[in-house]
Amino acid sequence: MSATLTRTAATRLLAERLTSEVVVSNLGQASLELQQSADRPLNCYTFGSMGQCSSIGLGLALARPDVRVVCLDGDGSLLMNLGSLCTIATEAPRNLALVIWDNEVHQTTGGQPTATAARSSLAAIARGAGVEKALEVRTEEELGRAYDRILREDGPFVVSVKIARGRTEGRLDRDVVGYARRFRQALAARS
Amino acid sequence: MIDPSWSKHLADVLRRNDVRMFATVPDYIVSHVLEHLWADPECRVVTVTREEEGIGLLSGAWLGGRRGALLMQNSGLGNCVNALASLNVASQIPIVLVVSHRGDLGEFNPAQVPMGQAAAPILDALGIRWIKPSSVAELEAQGDGLVKLAYTRGLPVAFVLPPELTGGKQG
Repeated sequence: MSATLTRTAATRLLAERLTSEVVVSNLGQASLELQQSADRPLNCYTFGSMGQCSSIGLGLALARPDVRVVCLDGDGSLLMNLGSLCTIATEAPRNLALVIWDNEVHQTTGGQPTATAARSSLAAIARGAGVEKALEVRTEEELGRAYDRILREDGPFVVSVKIARGRTEGRLDRDVVGYARRFRQALAARS
Repeated sequence: MIDPSWSKHLADVLRRNDVRMFATVPDYIVSHVLEHLWADPECRVVTVTREEEGIGLLSGAWLGGRRGALLMQNSGLGNCVNALASLNVASQIPIVLVVSHRGDLGEFNPAQVPMGQAAAPILDALGIRWIKPSSVAELEAQGDGLVKLAYTRGLPVAFVLPPELTGGKQG
């Protein structure tokens, strides 16, 4: 069943619910979409280190248990760092939600299929890793309900969002050092 | 003669410089340091599945205001190279690496040797300042300065731990 939900719609649906949460976005499409739809100082964009988005989010959640952290990862990237799901399950931070834009392809490099296009389910892998609140959603309605849960309930959550293939238009602003500094200062000010 | 208090001295250098968040894939040598950190209620130690995960985790912790150190063997340094380059060096995110040096003087396992010999050139290629203290006195003389440099410069630094300091691992 091919997905109809777009990354743009899924990002905007989150952005309209955000208040003072931290959002960590994966390199490439997730960061580009977040920058264009909802740039804010509490966004932590990543530009390299493919696979590390979920680990950066876990570190933030552990360092700041008073702040809710939402990661926007990609299926290809999380597949590079599946061990992160085990560490999230073991540390079990209540303030962490890992959302995966799962379009079943390596989008940035031209749309080559990932393992989720074949037989692998990231929600099932997360449950196997020990994350009890692991969901897979396909529609705007389901996603809205999932967002309402991850922004209110104790986590950790893993939410695989099945989205349509396709690139986000535009160009990522890659002020790598500047965005990291802006984010760190904004989070420090949120005491 | 190996001074067995080296591990306590290293744990103390880290703690007195406000490093209290740790990630590790343990090995025989760094586990001596971990014993002191596990026993300290002010320290958080996360065992990760692969060292690269520790780079992401501690980078996130620093963005959240906490200093972190990753304890591993030099094989783990090999697993971290791209994350160190494209996350820490590119974004100027400091992190302290504590790397037990296998594959050098006295090594018994041939499989350890190539990475052991590559460790220092890899750190140099990434522009990571490192020290290799061969005694507790050297560790005490240089340790505070190394950690301070990481946060002044906003880049990773590394303690490389040779068998002259730790006793290594006997095969």
